[in-house]
Amino acid sequence: MSEKTYIQLDGVTKKYSRGGEELVVLDALDLKVPEGDYVALMGPSGSGKTTILNLVGGLDVPDSGKVSVADTEVANMPKSQLPAWRARHVGFVFQSFNLLPVLTAHENVMLPLQLTPLSKSERKIQADFALEIVGLSDRASHRPSQLSGGQEQRVAIARAIATDPDVIIADEPTGDLDRSSADEILQILDRLNSEMGKTILMVTHDPAAAASARRLLKLDKGTLVSDQTREGA
Amino acid sequence: MVFPVRLALRHILASKTRNGLTILAITIAVFLLCFLLAVVKGIDAGVRSASATRLVTQSAVSLFVSLPMSYQPKIDAVDGVALSSEFRWFGGYYQDPSNFFPQFAVNQNRFLEMYEKDIEIIEGPDGITGPGARAAVQKALNSDRRAAIIGVGLKDEEKYSFKVGDTVPIVPAIYQRADGGSWEFIIVGIFRPLKERIPDQVMYFRSDYLNTSIESGEAIGDIAAGVYYINIDSGDIGDVVASTIDEEFLNGPQRTQTITEAAFASFFVSAIGNLPLFLGTIGGAVLFSIFFSVVNAMLIAGRQRLKESGILQALGFTPLTSTFLLIFEGLMVALIGGALGLSLAVGTEGLVQDLFGANIRNYKIDSNLMLLALATSSALGITAGLSAGIPFLGYRPTEALRSMG
Ligand SMILES: Nc1ncnc2c1ncn2[C@@H]1O[C@H](COP(=O)(O)OP(=O)(O)O)[C@@H](O)[C@H]1O
Ligand SMILES: [Mg+2]
Repeated sequence: MSEKTYIQLDGVTKKYSRGGEELVVLDALDLKVPEGDYVALMGPSGSGKTTILNLVGGLDVPDSGKVSVADTEVANMPKSQLPAWRARHVGFVFQSFNLLPVLTAHENVMLPLQLTPLSKSERKIQADFALEIVGLSDRASHRPSQLSGGQEQRVAIARAIATDPDVIIADEPTGDLDRSSADEILQILDRLNSEMGKTILMVTHDPAAAASARRLLKLDKGTLVSDQTREGA
Repeated sequence: MVFPVRLALRHILASKTRNGLTILAITIAVFLLCFLLAVVKGIDAGVRSASATRLVTQSAVSLFVSLPMSYQPKIDAVDGVALSSEFRWFGGYYQDPSNFFPQFAVNQNRFLEMYEKDIEIIEGPDGITGPGARAAVQKALNSDRRAAIIGVGLKDEEKYSFKVGDTVPIVPAIYQRADGGSWEFIIVGIFRPLKERIPDQVMYFRSDYLNTSIESGEAIGDIAAGVYYINIDSGDIGDVVASTIDEEFLNGPQRTQTITEAAFASFFVSAIGNLPLFLGTIGGAVLFSIFFSVVNAMLIAGRQRLKESGILQALGFTPLTSTFLLIFEGLMVALIGGALGLSLAVGTEGLVQDLFGANIRNYKIDSNLMLLALATSSALGITAGLSAGIPFLGYRPTEALRSMG
């Protein structure tokens, strides 16, 4: 892990208006994540965790403040360029896997590769490799409905890393899984961070998941209330 | 296969029932569209094939009131009139009332010349064919007052199978014979129509046969001409000639109304024209409701795809991707349905021609119609895809991701 700041949030405020009432989800939030860090984000439901991930991934823009990822000001980028930027830099992993049910595991992993300039055979090699990393080469032609939850999430991770992005954004990736499947996922994430140098930002309610990260942030009502780095990390 | 095509195909296959029903609906709609337009076009072709240099003079009172024979010299004397012939509806049948084909009493000396460009004599007496046939038929027509010529359809259709030389008895519906029997006609020639408007199951016979029979008391009725068909000289003189003729007879005994053959033909079309109108109204309503059911099916498909749109956006696809996917799917489903409907229309063309042959003689699924059918289905598919895909663009990616669809 280098000391170079990779993700930076400066005074980020995010509000939603609901039925005329204003809801401040993030209140002047500051956050720095160095390149190669593995950060777990905990906090009560509705505290704004997903909102932070969406801002970092360029799926959403703040009402004020700056969000920069790898020296790019995400919030200032023209909306039309955000998808392409996302494809190159960010890999998403969701609690409910979010695979496309009509596509096979391999086709799901191929999806983000369609946006790269790679040739068809190069894409296939990348997708094969990503599936190998998560240990599912033998399930490539299965549909999501033919896979267990843990396997689905591994396919989703393969899809997130297929284009070799710098950041993995994971929103409660073990939330829908049993303990042993969850542990498999955590091992994979750990390897992605330690062996492949991916910066990981993970929201979780799972203490075991939090324990596997290098750093633990606690969020409450839109502000960071605790920031601990694991001993030995 | 390129990714969007594959994903779209998978979605189509994933909802087999819904898409199958949609395809069926479009198949029916496109078949109906082809059928109705071919019917209307067939009838219309007859009207349009009417000669530009032909007028029809009829009674101003009604088509069913006959004009007197005495009008002919006066019509001939009008400037611009080249040739005229009386033209009278006979309205009999052969053996059984269901064996109906039109018969017209015409001027034996003028009719063939007048119809020179409208019909082609393909067979005359003693098996004569080719260029000499017309003169031979004219000669035979003049030599027996019972002489008649028929369209080739009366030779080809099995239940008639009329040949040159046959004596054909026609049971009168209007002009009863004193002896209560049939009229006898002798076939002296067979022609092929050169214009769509002319049926190929029709008989033309000598008006003087009818008139002299009435005169001598052999038959009952009035001596009259019916209407007059008039060939005029070329040039833009139709209106002038028509009004000159009508002015000539302004003081009777019968006032006339002279119109172009096209107008006259369309009068007959409008007599049976309620059929296409009726079909058109029903067909339009069916098409309309099918159209909405297709759009609705697509909208349902679209609502279930908001989540996918969010996922695709998280992966770096633009929101337009989902819209294009839906348009593509709509287009594919519609084109499959359209192609099936068109195949059905083409496949049943012969059947329809056989079933309705005499009534819609020009029924044909031509290339214009095929193009129209495919264009209509494409437009339907694109519209359905757009109406399902456009609303996506109103959602933020985070909202799409949070949706249940
Ligand atoms: N698009 C939205 N419109 C309105 N309110 C929203 C929207 N997205 C999130 N919220 C609200 O913002 C708050 C924070 O949401 P979120 O970041 O998803 O919380 P967490 O992930 O910590 O549970 C919640 O109260 C949620 O209901
Ligand atoms: Mg959340």
